[in-house]
Amino acid sequence: MKSTLKYLALVMVLVFLIAGCAKQPTEEINAAKAAVDAVMAEGAQKFAAEDAKKINDSMQAVQDELKVQEGKTFKSYDKTKELLAKVKSDADALKAALPAKKEEAKKKATEAQDAAKAAVAEAKALLAKAPKGKGSKADIEALKADLKGIEDSLAEVKTASDAEDYNVVIEKADAIKGKAVAVSDQIKQAMEKVGAKKK
Amino acid sequence: MFLLAVTFGCSAPPMPPEVKLSEEQENNLWRLGAQAYAPAGYDRYKIAFRRAKEALIQEQSKFSWFQDYRHVQSELRDVLTAGYALQKEIIEQKNIRKESAANQLSSLKSRIEALKNLTETINEGRLARKDLVKAELLVSEAAKRYENGDYEAAEVKLKTSSGFIKTAEETILPILIRYADRRHISKWRRLAEETILESRNAGVPVIIVNKSQRTLMLYKNGVPFKTYNIGFGRNGSLDKLHAGDNSTPEGKYRVIKKISNSLYHKALLIDYPNDEDRRNFLQARKKGLIPADAGIGGLIEIHGGGKDSMTDGCVAMDNREIDHLFGLVEVGTPVTIVGAVDSRNSLSTAIESF
Repeated sequence: MKSTLKYLALVMVLVFLIAGCAKQPTEEINAAKAAVDAVMAEGAQKFAAEDAKKINDSMQAVQDELKVQEGKTFKSYDKTKELLAKVKSDADALKAALPAKKEEAKKKATEAQDAAKAAVAEAKALLAKAPKGKGSKADIEALKADLKGIEDSLAEVKTASDAEDYNVVIEKADAIKGKAVAVSDQIKQAMEKVGAKKK
Repeated sequence: MFLLAVTFGCSAPPMPPEVKLSEEQENNLWRLGAQAYAPAGYDRYKIAFRRAKEALIQEQSKFSWFQDYRHVQSELRDVLTAGYALQKEIIEQKNIRKESAANQLSSLKSRIEALKNLTETINEGRLARKDLVKAELLVSEAAKRYENGDYEAAEVKLKTSSGFIKTAEETILPILIRYADRRHISKWRRLAEETILESRNAGVPVIIVNKSQRTLMLYKNGVPFKTYNIGFGRNGSLDKLHAGDNSTPEGKYRVIKKISNSLYHKALLIDYPNDEDRRNFLQARKKGLIPADAGIGGLIEIHGGGKDSMTDGCVAMDNREIDHLFGLVEVGTPVTIVGAVDSRNSLSTAIESF
């Protein structure tokens, strides 16, 4: 009986030593944090907001789990490790997918920007043909000023593009294109009016 | 004891369903745009949510047989209740912002349109139009955001747009302010009345050019005989001060030459500058208000070429109309050019909304 109790006490001490002294998976934590930081630095919140939030929430869940284990007498970091592995793999997967997402957004933005530039160039070319100076038509003079405002706004599109704000680029470029096309139509109408009067 | 502990310790109480529910709710609130539409409420909610989570962590840290989630459950229920209230608040705020953005969109579109028409009336395109186009582009971007349900971003864009509109108004205001100035209007009215009186007393035709109405009115024997639509140059709404300012002079003049073969179809040359113009010119030069090398200018005509032609200070008419007028006036016919004769004219009322 005495020796049984001795063995039991020894087992308990061992269990305490093994379980109670389990260490935080520092390496895995650092790796997961680095993966999360890396994907966020790549612009995950801008290009994949939902996925970015999921990853941040998962990282928070890891922190919570770490706290749970820290408070326990018998620590076990198996679940933490599982969660960390998931966070890291999700972050790595998103990081791998981001360039394609970015590229797609950039492609759409470039297309929109090019379309806006083309529309502005067309309007400018039309205006260059319009009569100038005394005797020119007042509406054409007004349209010239309109085009100046549109050209100024094209510069803002470039700024947004440089900042990789592709949604903003598309939004601004579409608005510019719409206005430039409207100006072109108005120039054509004004010039037709002049032509008709000359006949 | 140890075996009992291990045996019972392994069967931990189940996690309250409120944990998952509250996590889902937090996600939904984020998707709804809580940060934008109810930031203070959302911050409070997140603090409460975190507090409940910390309580949960504390409970999870205990030995399984000591774990009791009842108070955590109660805390999470409070969080859920607050979350539902917050969700309601977000939806209400979104609706308010939606309505506000819709009203602003409509109001700014109207303001831009009215100002564009005004700039066309006064031919002030250079600075005001540029700002108005910028405002217009922002309104168009805001409309897109509105369509996508992003009312907060739409309102930000509308606010910026409003700034450009204000700048455009400030550009136009100095040109239009004279048309709301009673002293100016009294003077213009007196000049017009004196000219009409001359027509009545002497039985001669006279011309009254009204800038705010964009009309040229021919009087015979003091009675309106015919009204023609006219146009001016870029600064036609301002009083001419010197050569090259593209403004149209204001005051009493006479036709000094009838040109039947003008570059602009037909023309009636008037005797600008008169004595008052010369006085104003010298005073302005003394005060340094005009370029030192600028002359006073001249060759101001009423001519054809189309009322929508840009002039350098002349009065433009359609060819058919100058043909008609040309036959009705002679050299010596009085021509009085005024800004407005009514205090509530089209230009003074236009600036009331500024």
